[in-house]
Amino acid sequence: MFKLERHTDISRKTSGLIVFLSLLLAFFVTGIIFYLLNVDVIQFYLIICNVFITPALLLQVVFRSIPIILASLGLVVAFRMGFWNIGAEGQIYMGMIAATGMVILHVFYGAIPASLMLVVMGAVSFLAGGAWCLVPASLKVRLGVNEVLTTLMLNYIAMLLVDYLVYGPWRDPEGWGFALSIPFPDYATLTFGGHPSMAGIIISIAVATLVYVLFKYTKLGFMLSVLGKSGEVAKYAGIPVGRVTLLGSLISGGIAGLGGLYVVSGMIGRLRPRISPGYGYTAIIVAMLAQLNPWLILPAGIFFGGLLTAGDALQSSLRLPFSVITVFQSIIFLCIILAEFFRRYRVVLKR
Amino acid sequence: MSIEWIEPVLASTTSIGVVYLLGSLGEIYAERSGVLNLGLEGIMAIGAAISFIITIAWGHALAFLVASVFGMLMGFLLAFFTVSLRLNQIAVGLAITMLGSGLSGFIAFPTTRKTILQFLNPELPSTALEIQSAPMLPSVPLPFLKEIPIVGPMFFNHNIAVYIALMLAPMMWFLLFRTSIGLKIRSVGENPGMADALGINVFRIRYFTCMLSGVFSALAGAYLMLGFQPFWIEGMTGGRGFITLSLIILSTWSPLRAIFGSLLFGGIEVLQYRLQLFGLGATSPQFVLMLPYAIAVITLSLLSLESFRKRISAPAALAKPYYREE
Amino acid sequence: MEDEDLSVTPLVELNGIVKRFPNVVANDRVNFSLMPGEVHALLGENAAGKTTLMNILYGLYQPDDGEIYVKGKRVRIRSPADSIKLGIGMVHQSFRLIPVHTVWENVVLGLTEAGFILNKKKLTEIVKRVCEEYGWNIDPNARVWQLSVGERQQVELLKLLIRNAEVLILDEPTSVLTPQETRSLFKAIRIMAKKGKGIIFITHKLEEVFEVSDRVTVMRKGRVVATKLTNEVTAEELANLMIGRPVLFKLERPEVKKGGVVLETKGLKAMGDRGVLALDGVNLQVHSGEIVGIAGVAGNGQEELIEVLAGLRRADGGKVFIDGEDVTNKGVGHLIGKGVAYIPPESTRWALIRDMRLVENIALKLYRSKNFSGRLTINWRKLFEFSKKLVEEYGIAAHGPSTLAGTLSGGNLQRVVLARELSATLDGKVPKLILAAYPTKGLDVAATEFVQGLLLKYRSMGSAIIFLSEDLEEIMMLSDRIAVISRGRIVGEFSPREKTVEEVGMMMVKGSMA
Repeated sequence: MFKLERHTDISRKTSGLIVFLSLLLAFFVTGIIFYLLNVDVIQFYLIICNVFITPALLLQVVFRSIPIILASLGLVVAFRMGFWNIGAEGQIYMGMIAATGMVILHVFYGAIPASLMLVVMGAVSFLAGGAWCLVPASLKVRLGVNEVLTTLMLNYIAMLLVDYLVYGPWRDPEGWGFALSIPFPDYATLTFGGHPSMAGIIISIAVATLVYVLFKYTKLGFMLSVLGKSGEVAKYAGIPVGRVTLLGSLISGGIAGLGGLYVVSGMIGRLRPRISPGYGYTAIIVAMLAQLNPWLILPAGIFFGGLLTAGDALQSSLRLPFSVITVFQSIIFLCIILAEFFRRYRVVLKR
Repeated sequence: MSIEWIEPVLASTTSIGVVYLLGSLGEIYAERSGVLNLGLEGIMAIGAAISFIITIAWGHALAFLVASVFGMLMGFLLAFFTVSLRLNQIAVGLAITMLGSGLSGFIAFPTTRKTILQFLNPELPSTALEIQSAPMLPSVPLPFLKEIPIVGPMFFNHNIAVYIALMLAPMMWFLLFRTSIGLKIRSVGENPGMADALGINVFRIRYFTCMLSGVFSALAGAYLMLGFQPFWIEGMTGGRGFITLSLIILSTWSPLRAIFGSLLFGGIEVLQYRLQLFGLGATSPQFVLMLPYAIAVITLSLLSLESFRKRISAPAALAKPYYREE
Repeated sequence: MEDEDLSVTPLVELNGIVKRFPNVVANDRVNFSLMPGEVHALLGENAAGKTTLMNILYGLYQPDDGEIYVKGKRVRIRSPADSIKLGIGMVHQSFRLIPVHTVWENVVLGLTEAGFILNKKKLTEIVKRVCEEYGWNIDPNARVWQLSVGERQQVELLKLLIRNAEVLILDEPTSVLTPQETRSLFKAIRIMAKKGKGIIFITHKLEEVFEVSDRVTVMRKGRVVATKLTNEVTAEELANLMIGRPVLFKLERPEVKKGGVVLETKGLKAMGDRGVLALDGVNLQVHSGEIVGIAGVAGNGQEELIEVLAGLRRADGGKVFIDGEDVTNKGVGHLIGKGVAYIPPESTRWALIRDMRLVENIALKLYRSKNFSGRLTINWRKLFEFSKKLVEEYGIAAHGPSTLAGTLSGGNLQRVVLARELSATLDGKVPKLILAAYPTKGLDVAATEFVQGLLLKYRSMGSAIIFLSEDLEEIMMLSDRIAVISRGRIVGEFSPREKTVEEVGMMMVKGSMA
């Protein structure tokens, strides 16, 4: 008979090793599945490695990882307070909508001076993403509606809202009838020294620092952590559970909204339907892989940004659909969850 | 208003409703035993993709069979992670959803599909290797019954899968509420510790319900492909699995009431198409497309209102892992 | 055992049972036997090892040593399911029923004889028939949540009776019952005994031993100290055996001058968890330097009262004043600010976070104090120093403030809660009002004395204290004033010197001044 014993305290080193081994397991399992489906597995992994060492592709990797990293940092806040925000995808879309809306307000109506554009876009996309997370949060606080299903549903609604806007009122009059918004003017584009990727890296590091500080030094961060560990104890300690939940979800969705801002304003330069290949869902995996540690989000996010980039390369070279990357991601996800088991329990052989 | 307009609407309501119904029948069992199968959406997708391929290779009957086998495997995976390893049901469910949608996209992708088809049935003509749609289940109108106005077209002019699904609902209800296995399932979902003390094998029951839920989710996907919308599109399940999860709450975890819940959401979907036909939302169909999701959110909120919540109680041990205390 | 009729095989025989838990031997070479048709009381104080012994017989625990015989045959009981097969059933203090299921469903669950398809009509008939045998009046189709506590207990018994259990273990069955319900239970127990069943009756109440049992086994500190026929023993003898020391040991109670009124409630009303009125107009005053003990049969509103006072439950009527300020429904945060300390029931579970460090647990309320935080940030360094001091002061066995709470033992966790509630007030002063709900429950003698000493110390320093305990004698010993609560009302207030334990017990049960 096997018996499970709970670890009371586990060292960081062991924990890291377990996660590393689970990643190896994911590579192995994926290899087997793809081998069975007649995929050239060696080639598959080579292409993925290649993404991280080819300079031109590496730039693409950074691009792709930034919305993931930002959404993931948002999720760190939500998950740490025990709020199952599965809605980062929708919150990213809302951030995109808000940013594009500001550009349209500016270009067509002359609102907002050009010099303030980026600041306003940042603020508004934060608020839009945050508001999109506030909806399920307030439903939870007020009525006790479970957030898992509501955040999921709102993803679809946000995606359709983008569709509506670019197919309808926001369609570029000079866009040859394509479903595209107008291109963003230069001063509404996120760059640093001419490099949009640099701007993204700076924003990511800045937000990661803020999230770190939030949990390490502030009262709000402490309240969020207590709430995440036990709602009952939080009430007992007199923490205003409702208000803290709302504030936390505003921050969580807001950071994801910044990810949306980066997609339209840093990567693409305009709004298109269905731009996100599931950044918001990948962000969930990244947050868990990084064990909700804001610093670890950065490398974990880059790894997954690489996977998404490899997805494109695989399409052209091995003629594989993008969904192979979804499969790979989900197997990594499962293995990370499995790692959680080994971090929690020790399996003991019992006589 | 003429009856000719109403009848096709009702008929397609049932047609779509069965997707939800099949999905909810298994899920109700899983949730009643205390396991939330959030992987429903992904298992549905897998079911659709597999039935698509197998129908072309081997025909309808085997398509449903093979789809359910794969559904069962996914259910087993869910059970292993959540029941044996006691891992978080939401995380595992999401991972399974991703796995399902990824795998479905991969195996139904033209080149992969071609390889699989050639392997399964080398005699297939090359046209069959390329087609993007599967042969639909034939409609089997029931004599006499189909003549009844309104009820006839709504329930008795469909393919065989619809009839089976509609008959399964009361059977599943009976099994859950009038047999000892059903009582055990419900008890395990309410108080697993107590059930264990009475000698009921909590783990075995939960494995059973998880796998059952996997089977029904896959059948829902297979029916979606073969009985309702025979063209393969990646992501064709489009959140229907998640909507099923909401309608289960609306149906208070009862397989009989799930019929009504399913028809309700089926009706909303038909309404979508109808509204578009009538020019409503013709310019911006997206708002109409949002309806099922928006209504699901609203339903969930309404059900959480104080006056409703007293009457509706979720299984007490839902989404809580069970382990014996020593 | 000397008086047993040797021609009859005992239903159950336990020989030399040993059960060790970390730090404590719960059962030390225990012998016990039960004859058919016998009601055998198992008497002892809390933590004497009674429940452990019975859990071994019921299969929840495995003994470390010793033998179990059922009807003369040696058995190993690995799980409750095994014990049910052997005809042994147990009714626990907290019922194991499914509230949303019907009575018959609860009874039939796991019963193989019921068949695959459950014949509702036949099954309700059977349930009804058994009910009639014992003079119970339960509707088999009612849902369990609709039943009273006494009826729920009857359903628990039904579960065992319908399985033809021959050995019934009742763990302090009267602790939750009204006097009428208790009488009806005793009647049913006698009927069961007449039918040849054996009943083990766990209790710590002497009068019940005489009322219902044929034989009594007394346990103390994990050992059996005596087994006697009930009609050959006196109450005084049993009390001495059970406690092993003079009944009331003296606590150092320094004279304290009572100060002004700290807490006052006027006509306080509140709903319980089931939506029934749990507090029905409570009027209570507590002065500074005073301990007020709330005595009552479990479930009469004492926990709801303390929750309302702590701000965790809404008051639906009436007012609460602290130092004259109306604080009704002002919320937990406000009350903490007013200097209210709260030690909740099962505090190591509900007042601590096991996977946080000690310093964070100490900071649970303190984080908002100006002494330890700025407008937005927390001064963890200062908190760490402060926690270090508390760890030493309260003798918490931990390496330091960064130890994970979950790695500590229950007694140490209790000390963490006490340290935070009593010493870590926002203004650094003595708490104005201390709400202590069962603070000594489950603690050993030394730990109990530590807690009692602390409460007396804070009483001398001027705190107003409300004290709940399941142990009436403890309440009598510790309190300056006792308020008896019954059905959500205070039915009597007096000084502990005015009444005997028996008189207070009477009042708790009857719900009025005797």
